Amino acid sequence: MAAIVRLSSVCRRGVKPLFYQSTLLVRPVVVLHKEQQPHPLTARIHSSPPLYAGSDSNAASLHWTAERVLSIALLALGPVAYFSPGPVIDYSLAAALTLHGHWGLGQVLTDYVHGDTKVKLASAGLFVLSTVTFAGLCYFNYNDVGICNAIALLWSK
Amino acid sequence: MALLLRTLGRQGVCLSKPHYHVLYRHAAPMGTTAKEEMNKFWAKNSRLNRPMSPHITIYKWSIPMMMSITHRGTGVGLSGAISAFAMAALILPGNYTHYLDLIHSLSVGPILIGLAKFGIAFPLSYHTYNGIRHLYWDIGKGFKIPEVYRTGYTVIGLSVVTSLALILM
Repeated sequence: MAAIVRLSSVCRRGVKPLFYQSTLLVRPVVVLHKEQQPHPLTARIHSSPPLYAGSDSNAASLHWTAERVLSIALLALGPVAYFSPGPVIDYSLAAALTLHGHWGLGQVLTDYVHGDTKVKLASAGLFVLSTVTFAGLCYFNYNDVGICNAIALLWSK
Repeated sequence: MALLLRTLGRQGVCLSKPHYHVLYRHAAPMGTTAKEEMNKFWAKNSRLNRPMSPHITIYKWSIPMMMSITHRGTGVGLSGAISAFAMAALILPGNYTHYLDLIHSLSVGPILIGLAKFGIAFPLSYHTYNGIRHLYWDIGKGFKIPEVYRTGYTVIGLSVVTSLALILM
């Protein structure tokens, strides 16, 4: 509907009046400005209010970069584990695998779980799972043959 | 358009000097974040008990679609297997070699062993190769549709070959 209105406006009156149509953007607004809207025709935009401490936060993009760096590190760990297995690689693998899995499952949660309570519950559950996983892998590395040897033994079957 | 207004209206941008205000005086910032807006969408629609519109049941499946969900599926599966292994290590008595000998003593035929190895090797290979494809996209390359298909088929081919090679090791 909005698209049709816009198109017909362009055809009839040119592009400029589009900028001042507020009918396309009707939604409830919490206006933080001190002055009230002076003009009846205004555009509502998403802007970072100066009061938000998190508005300049680049936590999300840093997380994205960290995910890619970890993926590359995990890729490198593969051949290293094959050619020089040992406790250092075992514990590095344990950490990299659990963290990569934790972040990956976190993205799955973000995609499919909605609603504040459900998100909180699912995130807590994921945290517990990842912690138990890392603990279990470290226990295995310490008290048993270790990840590299385990794979070698399993494959030699 | 909104992006332009947001840029002009943002604090700290030099264009936000008073005499530039003519460019965005008709713009007012919303008090909600994108996350809040998304939550509001889901809250409202689940409150009204609205059914979800059909999407994966009606949209024509494509190779890229299938590869994408397979990447997610193999990821979840591999992660689940690792977690299961870790929990078994914590809970089960006896050590790893004990359980390996147990499986050995079952004298499972070579075909089933090969199948089981494939069941581990293929998800790992596929997820790894498709992961590299994802990283390729992340540096901004390979988005043209023919390239998407070409890299996709390469991933599938490499995964099968690598899995077979791993089984025969």
